[in-house]
Amino acid sequence: METVLDNVVSVQLPEGVSVDLVPAGIAVRAAAYLIDYLIRFVVMAISFTGLVALGSSGTGLLLVIYFFVSWLYYIVFELRDGQTPGKKRLGIRVVQDSGLPAGFSAIILRNLLRGADVLPFGYFLGLCSMVLGRDFKRLGDRAAGTRVVYQSQHVPFLTDNTEKPYQLRLPLTTDEQSQVMRFAERSPRLSDSRRQELSNHLADVLQVRDQEAVERLRQMARYYAG
Amino acid sequence: MKQDTFINHREPVWREFEQQLHAGDAFKGSFGALFREICADLGKARARNYSPMLVNRLNDLVTRGQAVFYRDKRAALVRLAGLVRREFPLALHDNRYFIGFAIAAFFGIGLLSYLLAYYVPATVDVVFDPSTLEDIGDMYNPAGPVQDGMRDRSDDILMFGIYIYNNISIAFQMFAGGVLFCAGALFYLIFNGVYFGMISAYIVMQGYSEPFFSFVIGHGSFELTALVIAGAAGCRLGYALLRPGHLTRFSAFQRAGKSAMPLIAGAFVMLVVAAGIEAFWSPREIDATIKYIVGSALWGFVLYRLVRGCVYGT
Repeated sequence: METVLDNVVSVQLPEGVSVDLVPAGIAVRAAAYLIDYLIRFVVMAISFTGLVALGSSGTGLLLVIYFFVSWLYYIVFELRDGQTPGKKRLGIRVVQDSGLPAGFSAIILRNLLRGADVLPFGYFLGLCSMVLGRDFKRLGDRAAGTRVVYQSQHVPFLTDNTEKPYQLRLPLTTDEQSQVMRFAERSPRLSDSRRQELSNHLADVLQVRDQEAVERLRQMARYYAG
Repeated sequence: MKQDTFINHREPVWREFEQQLHAGDAFKGSFGALFREICADLGKARARNYSPMLVNRLNDLVTRGQAVFYRDKRAALVRLAGLVRREFPLALHDNRYFIGFAIAAFFGIGLLSYLLAYYVPATVDVVFDPSTLEDIGDMYNPAGPVQDGMRDRSDDILMFGIYIYNNISIAFQMFAGGVLFCAGALFYLIFNGVYFGMISAYIVMQGYSEPFFSFVIGHGSFELTALVIAGAAGCRLGYALLRPGHLTRFSAFQRAGKSAMPLIAGAFVMLVVAAGIEAFWSPREIDATIKYIVGSALWGFVLYRLVRGCVYGT
C-alpha cells in the first residue's frame, strides 16, 4: 500500500509520465481572494468617482461595470492562463484535474458556481466542500473538474552549509530522500529530544542513535541536496 | 547512470527548453520534440530515484511545458460564439425535461396568478403593497409621467445598465442557487411567475394593456425564455445531488455541471440581447402595431429555436 507522506496528487500524462501537483489549501486561496477583492474594490471606487458626474447614463455604465467586476472578473483573468492577479501573486493557478490548462467551459462553470459556494454566507458551502477532499475543491471546482495548484513545488531549502555530506550505502527512493531533506529543513525549529525521537525511527538503518543519528541525517540531507 | 553524469548529459536540452518556454510558442521549432524528451527525462529521473531537487525541477519543466503546449489561444468571444451556436442547442436537447419543467413552473404559475388576480382582484392587494402598485401603474399610464415622451438617450443607457446587472445576476443566481437541491432556482421561477402574472393582470385591469404589452412583447421573448433556461440549468444541478443514480453525488454533480454549462452561457447571451432590445427598442415611440409585429417575429424566432433545440439538438 502506498503511504501518504505529503499532500501531492500524481496525475498520469498522455506523454507517458506522471507529474506531481500540489493542491493549494484554504489559507493561500483566501489570501488570493482578498487581493482580488481589493483590486475589484479599487476598480469600482475609481469608476464611481469618474462616472457619478455623468448623471443617469453614468449610473447605467457603472452598473454594467459592476456586473463585469462582480461576475466576469475571475472568468476573464482565468481564461488567459488560469490566474487572477491575486493567484499570480501567490503562485497558484487553476488547472484541470488532469493538470492541463483549464478550458473555456470549466473556467466559466467554476466561477459562476461561486454563487453557490458563498451560500449561506462567507463561502461556507465552499469551505465544507474543500475540507471533504484531499485536494481542496470548492463546489465550483467539483462541477468543473478543476483544481487550484501551486505553480511549482516547494523544495526544501538547506541554509546550513557546514555539514559534511554523507552517503548512505542503501539507496533511498526520491520520496524518502525528500523526507530526509524536509527533516533537515525543519530540525532547527524542533527541540533536541524531538529531533532525536524522530531520528531514532531510523536507528536500525543508520546504525547510530540519538544525537549521532540526528547529525547523520543532516549530513545525508546535505548529500541529497548536492 | 549516475545522477551527475545524467545532469551533465541533459543540461543543454533543459536549458534550450526553458528558453522556448519563455518564447511561449508551442508550434515553432523543436518545442514538441523537446517537450517529449523532457517528459522522458522525468520518467527516467523518477525510475532511478534521483534526488528530489532534480525530480522537482523536471516536474516543473513538464508542467510549464504542458501549460504552453495545451493552451487554447482562441479569443474568449470566439469560443463563446462557438459554444452558443453548437453546444447550447445540444444542451437544450440533453436537458429537455428540465426545460419543460421550468416552463411549467414559470408560465404555469404565471398563468394561474394572472387568472387569480383577474377574477379575485383582492389577492393583488394582499401580495403587493399599494405604493408598489401605484408606481407600476404610473409607468404604463398613457397620461402618466413615464409615457410622455420625455425619455432621452441617457435614460436608455441607465436602463440598459439596470437590465444587464439585474437580470443577468438573477439568472446566474438561479443557476448557482440550484445547488441547494433545486431550491434557489425554483424560488426565482415561482416568485417571478407570480410577480409577472399578477402585475400583468393588474395593469390590464387598469386599462393600460396597449402601452404595457407593446412594451414587453419585444424583449419578453429573449428575457423570459432565458430566465426559464437558467432555472432549468439550476434544477439540473440540484437534481443531480438529489438523485445521483448509480454515480457518487460528486461525480453526478460534475456531470450535471458539464451538461448545464452551455445552458447558462446561452441564457447569458440571450439576456444581453434582451437588455439591448428592452433599453433601446421597446421604449421607442413607434406605432404599437409595428411593435406587435416585430415582437411576434422575435417570439416566433425564439420559440422555433427552443423547440428545435429541445427536439433535435440543433
